[in-house]
Amino acid sequence: MPDDKNPPEAVEVVLPIRGMSCASCAATIEGALAGMAGVRRASVNLTAEKAFVTFDPARVTPAQMARVVRDLGYGVGTEDLVLQIGGMSCASCVAAIEGAVGGMPGVESVQVSLAAGSARVTYYPGVTTPAQIKRTIRDLGYEAAERLEGVAALDREREARRREIRRQGRWVLISWPLALVVMLGTFQEVWILPRFVPRVLANPFVLFAITTPIVFGPGWQFFVNSYRGLRHGVTDMNLLYATGIGAAYLIAVLNTFWPQAGFGGPEATFYEAAALLTAFIILGRYLEALTRGRASDAIRKLMSLQPKVARVLRDGAEVEIPADEVEVGEIVVVRPGEQIPVDGIVLEGYSAVDQSMLTGESMPVEKRAGDEVIGGTLNKTGAFRFQATKVGRETALAQIIKLVEEAQASKAPIQKLADLVAGKFIFWVHVLALTVFLFWFFLGYQAFFTPGTRLMLTPYTLAGVGAFGFALLVSVAVLVISCPCAVGMATPSAMMAGTGKAAEHGILFKGADAIENASKLTTIVFDKTGTLTRGEPSVTDVIPVPGWSTDSVLGLAAAAEVNSEHPLGEAILRGARARDLAVEEPESFNAIPGHGVEATVRGLPILLGNRKLMRDRDVDLSGLAGRAEALEQNGKTVVFVAADRRPVGLIAVADTLKEHSAEAIRILHRLGLQVVMITGDNERTSTAIARQVGIDRVLAEVLPQDKAEEIRRLQQEGRRVAMVGDGVNDAPALAQADVGMAIGSGTDVAKETGHVILIKDDLRDVVTAIEVARATMRKVKQNLFWAFVYNTVTIPVAAGALYPWSQQVVSPELAAFLMAISSLTVTLNTTLLKRFAPSLRVAAGRPLRLPGPVPVAGGEG
Amino acid sequence: MAGREGGIRRAGLLGVLVALAAALAFFGITAVLGGYPPVARYGGAAWVFLLTWIITMPVLAPLLKARS
Repeated sequence: MPDDKNPPEAVEVVLPIRGMSCASCAATIEGALAGMAGVRRASVNLTAEKAFVTFDPARVTPAQMARVVRDLGYGVGTEDLVLQIGGMSCASCVAAIEGAVGGMPGVESVQVSLAAGSARVTYYPGVTTPAQIKRTIRDLGYEAAERLEGVAALDREREARRREIRRQGRWVLISWPLALVVMLGTFQEVWILPRFVPRVLANPFVLFAITTPIVFGPGWQFFVNSYRGLRHGVTDMNLLYATGIGAAYLIAVLNTFWPQAGFGGPEATFYEAAALLTAFIILGRYLEALTRGRASDAIRKLMSLQPKVARVLRDGAEVEIPADEVEVGEIVVVRPGEQIPVDGIVLEGYSAVDQSMLTGESMPVEKRAGDEVIGGTLNKTGAFRFQATKVGRETALAQIIKLVEEAQASKAPIQKLADLVAGKFIFWVHVLALTVFLFWFFLGYQAFFTPGTRLMLTPYTLAGVGAFGFALLVSVAVLVISCPCAVGMATPSAMMAGTGKAAEHGILFKGADAIENASKLTTIVFDKTGTLTRGEPSVTDVIPVPGWSTDSVLGLAAAAEVNSEHPLGEAILRGARARDLAVEEPESFNAIPGHGVEATVRGLPILLGNRKLMRDRDVDLSGLAGRAEALEQNGKTVVFVAADRRPVGLIAVADTLKEHSAEAIRILHRLGLQVVMITGDNERTSTAIARQVGIDRVLAEVLPQDKAEEIRRLQQEGRRVAMVGDGVNDAPALAQADVGMAIGSGTDVAKETGHVILIKDDLRDVVTAIEVARATMRKVKQNLFWAFVYNTVTIPVAAGALYPWSQQVVSPELAAFLMAISSLTVTLNTTLLKRFAPSLRVAAGRPLRLPGPVPVAGGEG
Repeated sequence: MAGREGGIRRAGLLGVLVALAAALAFFGITAVLGGYPPVARYGGAAWVFLLTWIITMPVLAPLLKARS
């Protein structure tokens, strides 16, 4: 946007500024911007919250200006644009788009995901527009459209994939039959072919006539895409293909029309090289189009869960409306076998709901009045009505889809190397192809060439090939055999499959870095209360004195505690109700802070509390002291019960372990991880709990605000630490850990802190999360190993490294075949992640010997 | 945007010049060494030109884009 008053090279940008409160803020920012080299004029409007800067783009960029503004403590408004990109085939496409869009003025960052077929662009709205960004991408030869939400996105993505599969399939149907005819014609004199193949097919002019439609039909896309890329100063895989196909075809044409030109003569019309080269590349593209989409199956499955219709009550009548038109507060009616359209709270009715698609829970969950239901889950048996609480983008399903999409589009640290290699790959392959050509042309041919030279895996001899033909053949083989696709796809495809697989089990990784970090963990720190334990005390033991029964002691204590608001009192009351005891109202009640309560029940003075209370009221505890100490050794809180100043029994209360705590910890140990418990509780209680579940190390009496510091200490010991806790209370510790796992968030995934969200309140998901992460990283490493080994081995072979000893060179069609197989190997290896099953699922068929529930002792006496 | 495109065009042109120089150098060397048929010399020069242009384009484009 040049300004008339400025020289042509001056550009004006409008930066949205956040956080200004007064005129001095504006002046500060103005001064800082004006002082930057390359900034000609800066003016900040406090009311409009905008900075108008005229600058020289050769000397300064909007991103540098934004950094200066942020350094001053203010925010610079950016907007995110998420685009669906079509037509990307390899890592060099990613590099091309990131290079072109990243170089636009006003673009702060761009992240392209090849596996997800998407790009996230962060830009300054005053400098560039979504239309300009999309145009830049389209000019490179790719499709770019703003990402739709939910089902619409799913439909469009599926249609785009189908279109690509149809297109490449059509080219396969054209190129392969013709290429096979060319091959038969080329080898017409070999083996038994003379009996079946007419001699006319071996005529170079006939071969020319059959090969030309292949090169300029199915192969034409590579020339067009190369040209588009070069117009923007970027090189990609298409260029490798185009130069390879073009060179092979050109040599064949020259030998056909000018046989004496020195390219090997009429005996060396390698039409089958050009034809099969095109056919193999097209086949590779077709197979990749078929398989690549499978990595995103999980997200597709999630999206397909989004209900299309809802039945709501309006003016007393049931009305069927599109699910996205349900409003918060409306009453929704659900019948057996129907999908629940939005999130809500059950008002009336009873049913079992299959939530497995969202949480991985295999058993249907009972729902009755007051229970939460999740949109997208399946109602099984009954009918019910519920009130919508979350609709549209706010539903749990929409949030989960958003999280998984963001994770799939993110990049893991391990990908940096792959991106770097893939980004520079094409450039260096061309450098190598030129070097190889010059070597064989000037030195290698004279030094090593023998008339017995053959093309690898073919009966072809290259006796008539001169220095140029030979050097060109080797140079083309180098271009074609190299496969940056495998390098570029190795990490993102596996990450995509891994995050999807985790989501199937109700585990949401917020990014690829979370998966990578989770695979390297050495220590798992569990918060005790609410994570390992249920988070609320409950009665574990009732020990009456002789002459009293368990129920009578518990009933008396519950009656005394009816009006209490103390957690221990509530636990006793719950314990009594759980045993169906009738709980009476006390005639009088008095809470004694720090000691207990005194009450009158049925005219009997009751005391309920600790030793100190009993001592103060002269109650003799000698008969119960031994049992009380034993219980306290196990981390339980003992409440003594006395009636009429005589002890009648004691009640032990403790925060009990969750169902699967011990099992999860046992498996974590089996995975070679150290397990630590962190808690604000006292040493004795914590140690007792730790002993029950088999925890290695206890960090007791840690204040909430000090938990993050304890995590830091563990990290300083050289450990890679995961913190598992409540996403709200443990937020600082979750953030400090290498991997923060927020457990039991249910449907409120958007509010959660941490790097991994475990939807269910099941500790075994910690195990599953680590297993998924490890399986994903194994795939990443396998893919990268394959990609690097493939290129490291095949490129030197294609360059003729073995020729002096073997007298064989790689033909362009063999190079194309190997290249296609290489990228396909990575894609197929990734799809094997679909078979991954957590060890808990595998072990589900075997009985697990777990510690039984803690019995409530009842000594009759 | 126009500036960027101008930069790329300049990179393309400069790339052509560099590639032309490389092709001429190749052609000159084959002349000096002798023993190469004309097709090998012309064909080789063309191949060197093409690869050199492809190599120089992505190197020059960002440099010249930044100056546009």
